[in-house]
Amino acid sequence: MGSEGFYQEFEVFSKRSDTSPLQYQFSLLAPNSEIALIMAQENFMRREPVADIWVVKRSDIRKMNMEEKQTLQRLDNKEYRNTKGYGYLKKKWRQYEQGMLDEKEILSWGEEKKSENG
Amino acid sequence: MSDVIFSNQLTEKEKYEHFLKRIKEGEKIEADDWMPDEYRFTLIKLISMHGISEIMGALPEKEWVPKAPSLKRKLGIMAKVQDEMGHGQLLLRVAEDLMKPLGKTREDILEDLFSGRLKFHNVFHMEAPTWGDAGLIGWLVDGAAIISQTNMLNASYGPYARALKRICAEEVFHAQHGEAIIMALAEGTKEQREMVQEAVNRWWEALLMFFGPADASTTGTSKQDITIKYRIRTKTNEELRQDFFSKYIPRVLSLGLTLPDETLHFDKEQALWVYKQPDWNRFKEIIKNNGPKSKDRLELRKMAYIENQWVREALNMAK
Repeated sequence: MGSEGFYQEFEVFSKRSDTSPLQYQFSLLAPNSEIALIMAQENFMRREPVADIWVVKRSDIRKMNMEEKQTLQRLDNKEYRNTKGYGYLKKKWRQYEQGMLDEKEILSWGEEKKSENG
Repeated sequence: MSDVIFSNQLTEKEKYEHFLKRIKEGEKIEADDWMPDEYRFTLIKLISMHGISEIMGALPEKEWVPKAPSLKRKLGIMAKVQDEMGHGQLLLRVAEDLMKPLGKTREDILEDLFSGRLKFHNVFHMEAPTWGDAGLIGWLVDGAAIISQTNMLNASYGPYARALKRICAEEVFHAQHGEAIIMALAEGTKEQREMVQEAVNRWWEALLMFFGPADASTTGTSKQDITIKYRIRTKTNEELRQDFFSKYIPRVLSLGLTLPDETLHFDKEQALWVYKQPDWNRFKEIIKNNGPKSKDRLELRKMAYIENQWVREALNMAK
């Protein structure tokens, strides 16, 4: 579908900066991927900063249909997968006079050091 | 929970009820989802008209690109004209995806425009003879467009709502670009002030018509009830017009400008603006492409389409 006519459908994705995730923008019509790339920039990125643009032919994308999307609903019984299921440890560690190494603490370890006393 | 609904096992009536339930719960309908024909056709009509109006709306403004009074103004109005074309591209994509199951494409949209089957917005059939008009279009026509488009930001149809979010963000720049032009003229020489006043006088009736008649009695049809029923919009034409008055009349007057309607006032008891109705017969003529610039602008669009046919052909051959 779509390959017979002049215009083909492209889906456009872009990254705001090198470290940001690829984000869906919108679709456009273009005769080929080179023009699609130029139009993507002209159509969707006239102002905001952009570090990279991808264009993908829509016919190459396998999308979910309505029924499949409904299977994505989760049951609310997955506490064991999350830190929420282990929240009681905070109280336990307190008994041993230790602080809890929670998500906020652990993810901060990669940051540049600011001060020793925190 | 987890009652997966297989649309191929439902009757048409059950599909319809499920659809209404989805939009009532604030879910967004996507292009590939099941939707009633009435919803699809209403959206196609609304969005193809909106999209093509963005493109036709760039024409009165683009006239002012070569005549802008300074380089800064020229860059500003060029950016705006480009935005309008970009908005047209976004909206046509939304309309095209809705038309796809009917076997219709962008070519059909353009053919329908040229043949008069597809209308473009009544406000873009008017003349823009002075720089004051260029400023006024940005300030008040885009102001009116912001009022009617923000009314649909939460539209039940997801792709349209997403397109409108992008569009409205840029419309804010357009409105301020227009305000800057008007402000400079209003604070300028006597001739410049007169130029703005004449533009206001010229555009007032078109601005009233912008939101369309209050009900179906004027033109025989109105899609307001259907678009409200399907949560595409929330307010009626008249409510939008009143919102426009409340936001803009005080601003127009504050610049020392007047409005060409001596009956215009805010009625505190009814909490409504009272105003002289525009000539709705004239409106009917305009939407039949019998407005002052209807034919010229259609000709211009058609000429661009025909003269660039060779580019499309060359690219097609290169595939």
